[in-house]
Formats: sequence, structure tokens, C-alpha cells
Amino acid sequence: MDPSEVEFLAEKEMVTIVPNFSLDKIYLIGGDLGPFNPGLPVDVPVWLALNLKQRQKCRIVPPEWMDVERLEDIRDKERKEETFAHIPSPYYMELTKLLLNHASDNIPKADEIRTLVKDIWDTRVAKLRLSADSFITLQEAHAKLDNLTLMEINTTRTFLLDSLNYMYKLRTNMQPRSDAKSQDY
Amino acid sequence: METQSYMPVPPGVGMEENFLSLDDILLSHERLPCRTESAFPRLGFLEKSSDNRDIPEGTKMEMPLWLAKGLYERTRRVLSVELPKVYREGWRTVFSADPTVVDLHKMGPYYYGLGSQLLHFHNPENAEIAQTVLQTFIGRFRRTMDSAQNAYNEDTSALVEPLDSLERVLFKVGQNGLNAFQRWEMGRASHLTASSLVVNYRKRKITDLQA
Repeated sequence: MDPSEVEFLAEKEMVTIVPNFSLDKIYLIGGDLGPFNPGLPVDVPVWLALNLKQRQKCRIVPPEWMDVERLEDIRDKERKEETFAHIPSPYYMELTKLLLNHASDNIPKADEIRTLVKDIWDTRVAKLRLSADSFITLQEAHAKLDNLTLMEINTTRTFLLDSLNYMYKLRTNMQPRSDAKSQDY
Repeated sequence: METQSYMPVPPGVGMEENFLSLDDILLSHERLPCRTESAFPRLGFLEKSSDNRDIPEGTKMEMPLWLAKGLYERTRRVLSVELPKVYREGWRTVFSADPTVVDLHKMGPYYYGLGSQLLHFHNPENAEIAQTVLQTFIGRFRRTMDSAQNAYNEDTSALVEPLDSLERVLFKVGQNGLNAFQRWEMGRASHLTASSLVVNYRKRKITDLQA
């Protein structure tokens, strides 16, 4: 899977905006989006929020977890625990990138937030690698990882699956097999 | 998503080879030391070291894997295959001590593949060979993963050098994943670039002609 595809999936998440135009309720296939009144906050999907922001028709309200103290807490918790800590949004990486690229004027302390999210990402990916390594070294058949996000899984997916396949095939070498006839091609 | 119009056949890891895989074809060119158990009349030209017209019984010679596999029979009337150096006792203890220091590319670039194919020749040490091959892979996995996931935009030739061909495939896969993520993060994932074919072909552009 491409990171762009993961980003596409992330754009379905809801975010609060404050529009500066008015519009009646719109009925889309995915659901209804409430009436838009200037100055009143409304919840919309991220793809719509970004589009409106680019046309300068709204102001984006940062999600409540996108705040320096909350992110610092999460980062410290992540560093202390060996398993993956619970994070507030399954798409934190994509939302950070999208919102900070398009709406950094609406988000206070954008640079610090970017750094903090990067720290959290690095810690989690390091834990993932450690876990993958012990998975292979101990030749486990089954591993359970909670609180992983799709983006993190996506970056290691092909590598881990291919190595596990190779390891499996090398392992079946050790099984005593019936004496095969010689190849006839 | 990266879709390729040409999907190469991957090597069959383990005891079966994929007939159409280029990696497996190259693998079967590796030479094994063998000893003939019966005479091969008028095939003396195959063995360069002596000038006989036939190959007498009991000659030690090197044969490529494809030939050895074809000639080998359970009853062992024709050929007996000896283990290459890397799979023998001495090297096996080296691998069990520390697999990461060995330059697997120098030891024959197809360590895992050849090791798996050797299991076809019923050798009393087969079980240990299989075990050693597996343990070497596991031991080197960490190193391969670290180097693949951390080398972004650097010259990777020094990292790739001591890797066996199987590990190189894994390394490339890991690098692709990393590069795709970094490209996305920099915002260049949807950046349109001219295809290298077009750039290298150096088509004359209409703007250049008119100028």
C-alpha cells in the first residue's frame, strides 16, 4: 500500500471548522453535513475542511489532541512503556502532516507540534522494529500488537512479510520429506 | 501504487527452484565439488585438469549444480557430492558463533539458495546444514533490517556488499518502503516527474526547435 493511499483513508476523519459562508444542510452519500453558518463551528471530514481552507472559506480548529502539552505527555508515556501507548487518533501522522501543511496559521505552535509528533513516530517505529526482530529471532508463529496505526504498519509491511516467507521456506527445509522423484522437465 | 508491467518470477526459496526464475537459473550455475562413482567414457573433455579421453571412476571434479542434480540418484551409482567449504563443520561453527561478520557475498552469492539445494543430495549432515542456514538468516535479519530502514539518500553500496542475494532482495524491499514514506512525508508523493526514458531519449522539443 502506498503512503498516499493511507493518507486518502485518513481524510475521512472528522475535524471541526468555523466557516465564513452559509449553506444549507448537504446530503452526501457518506452522510449529511450540517448547515453551515458563518462563525458557528461544524464537524466536517478532513477532505472537505482542506478544500474549504484552500478556498479561504473557513478556519480549521485543531483537534484537541494537537496540543503541545498533550503531545508531550504522550511522548513521555511512549518512551517509558515497552508496548505501544494509546494514541488519540489512528491517523495522527497523516492528520499532522495535512493540517500543518495547509492550515498552520490556525494551529498554535505548529513547529513544536511537528517535532513532537516526529518524536512520537520515531519512538513507535523503533519499538515496532524491536518487536519484529524478536518475532523473527524467537521464530514465533503469532504476535499481537495493540495500538498500532495503519501508517506504521504500512512502512514495514512488505519487508516483514517477505522475511517471514523466506524464513518459513528455510524452515520447511528441515522437515524430512519423502524422497522426491527427479525433476522431469 | 507502483504497478509493474514486468513482474519478475521470484526465486523459489527452499528446496524447490522456480523454473522460470532468473535468480534460480544463476544459482544453479554454482559449482560443487563431486566425485564420480562410475566412469564416463569419452567425456574427458569436461575435465580440464587431465587429458584422458574418458573420465575414470573416482575422479574428483567440479560440476555445476544443474548437472549434479540431474545426475544424482539415490542409489548413488553415478555421482557423490561433497559439501562446499562454506557448509562444512568449520564454517558452521563460525556461523553459529556470529553470523553477522561473515561476508556472504564473497562466500558464494547464493548461500541460502545453494544451502537449500544441497539438501537434495542425501548427505548425512543435511539436518545440521538446514539448521545452520536457518539460524544464519535469523541472525543476520536484524542487521539487514537496520541497514535497509535507516539508509535514506545515502550511498548504500557499502551496506549491500556483504549481503547474500536473498538478503539483497529484502534490503531493496525495505528501502522501497522507506523511500516511499519519506517521499510522502516531504510532499513529493504526487509530484509529477518526467519519466527517465523520455529524459534520456532526448527528444527534440518544439520549443528548442523554434528558438
